[in-house]
Amino acid sequence: MHYTFKIERGNFTDAGQASSSVKRTLKQLGVDPVNIKRTVVALFEAEINAVAHAYGGTIDVDIDSEKIVMVVADEGPGIPNIELAMQEGWSTASAKVREMGYGAGMGLPNIKKNTDELKIDTKVGVGTTVTMTVNLA
Amino acid sequence: MPTGEIYFKHSLRVNGYLCKGCTACMRACPTAAIRIRGGKAVISENKCVDCGECIKACPHKAIYIKQDDFGLIENYRYRVCLVPTTFIGQFDTKYKTKAIYSCLIKLGFTHIYEVEHEVARMKELYNMYMEDHPEIRTFISPYCPAVTRLIQVRFPSLVDNVIHVRAPLELASRVITKKLIDEGARPESIGVFYVTPCAAKIAAVKYPVSGKDTCVAGVINMDFLYNKVMLMLHDSDKNAQPINHTLNSSDVLWSLAGGEAPHFKGAHYAVDGLQNVLNFLERLEDEAIDAPGLVEMRICDQGCVGGVLTTQDRFVARKRLEYRARLFERLERSKIRETPPEDHTLTEQWIKDMEISEIKPRSIYKLNDNYAEAFRMAERLKKIEKALPGVNCSACGAPSCAALAEDIVRGEAKMDTCIFINPHSPASSDAIKSIWGERIKDTDKDQ
Repeated sequence: MHYTFKIERGNFTDAGQASSSVKRTLKQLGVDPVNIKRTVVALFEAEINAVAHAYGGTIDVDIDSEKIVMVVADEGPGIPNIELAMQEGWSTASAKVREMGYGAGMGLPNIKKNTDELKIDTKVGVGTTVTMTVNLA
Repeated sequence: MPTGEIYFKHSLRVNGYLCKGCTACMRACPTAAIRIRGGKAVISENKCVDCGECIKACPHKAIYIKQDDFGLIENYRYRVCLVPTTFIGQFDTKYKTKAIYSCLIKLGFTHIYEVEHEVARMKELYNMYMEDHPEIRTFISPYCPAVTRLIQVRFPSLVDNVIHVRAPLELASRVITKKLIDEGARPESIGVFYVTPCAAKIAAVKYPVSGKDTCVAGVINMDFLYNKVMLMLHDSDKNAQPINHTLNSSDVLWSLAGGEAPHFKGAHYAVDGLQNVLNFLERLEDEAIDAPGLVEMRICDQGCVGGVLTTQDRFVARKRLEYRARLFERLERSKIRETPPEDHTLTEQWIKDMEISEIKPRSIYKLNDNYAEAFRMAERLKKIEKALPGVNCSACGAPSCAALAEDIVRGEAKMDTCIFINPHSPASSDAIKSIWGERIKDTDKDQ
């Protein structure tokens, strides 16, 4: 099953619709609550990352019998130093973003913690594609 | 309509004579538990969480809460009226608490005990549980039974966040029973009757999540008792016997929204009102809200004073309770009212009795136990949802197009039940008749 969602820059208020919609399907499938939580948390974090840093993008979610693959692709500044970005507490978020309660530098580390596979393709000045996989079995 | 094992039971009933099948209840239900069949509302037991929203929404008073026969109290020599303070909040502050209680005695009770006497012990039980589970970041208060049920059916991943302790009324009934036994009463001669502000508390007594025995002999609806007492207060019997009541002023407000959480350590939230509870749980499940500590939740707006069996405006009742709490406080301070220090020790037996071993997830979303089959059904569901008009007209007897789509994939309804799909097919008109009953005129025959 395939889902597509759009990401709008700076729209924190509407973020979370993708994870809510995916969550509903996973509940219908009777997926283990632990895996539902991991999926939803990872997807929400990735969406917030794109909302906070990029100029816009898309979310593609594919669910099959073995795994959930989520691709969050954005057009944005890219990540100059992935190693730093993967460190807990490291953040380049603006003061405005931090004021809203985001930008604690936990995004990517939290995604890594909640997924079985994490692939980040990024090009400075072009954009970032985050591919996350949660195995169901 | 529901197939398979029924694991929830309820005291909510639909009166078939009064129900007009107007869909008001169906649209108000947070778990889409209601359908119209044969022109009347039908409640699915496994989906219903006893929140009472359907009763509040019904314009015909067709949904009611079955209560125990009041005459049942005559079977006991010691007849205890177990009241939550919400009850005294129903009365104008010109009536003294002891005047209200003396009416209860005249009605046949021998003892009156307020549930809120157990606040101190409940606090200890919560704290013991929280200390035993350092791995849990957010604890959800088990106070409102409808919240616990809602979590079971809609947010199964949060069942372990609920503090596994039974309702305060179970502890209160045990404490007062023990007190009477200590004073020489035989256990079988004691009947504790709880005065309930809502349907959820009845379900918590009769069909508890814990699966354990109750110590409550019967449940009486608050509105029923209010009417009886009000009649007697108007008679203004000056010879009413004052009854001792020794409730602590700070405990009076426990059942109100915000009455519980501030008693605990941690960043507490007090969430009240159905929609607020749903939104909060949704965000909590997504970890979009970080709430370390205790979250207090009440399905009813303003807490128990908003219960469906209360009789007064909830804001008025809240103010009255706050007034009485202040009054108690003044009396305590001036030592006019005698408040003997209460014993708040918890016996090992009570700790054991109050424990819930497991709160089972009971997802209402799961389409099938078999993943492959559930997957096929979910794919079909997505297609059907796209095909349906999305106007949520409820003419199919379901609350929304999404609910109808789910009924169709579960084999409980047919595509033809949607009047937009094929308005002229005989199958469609038969389906509509079976849902809406005689009110649907057969226009073809008239022509």
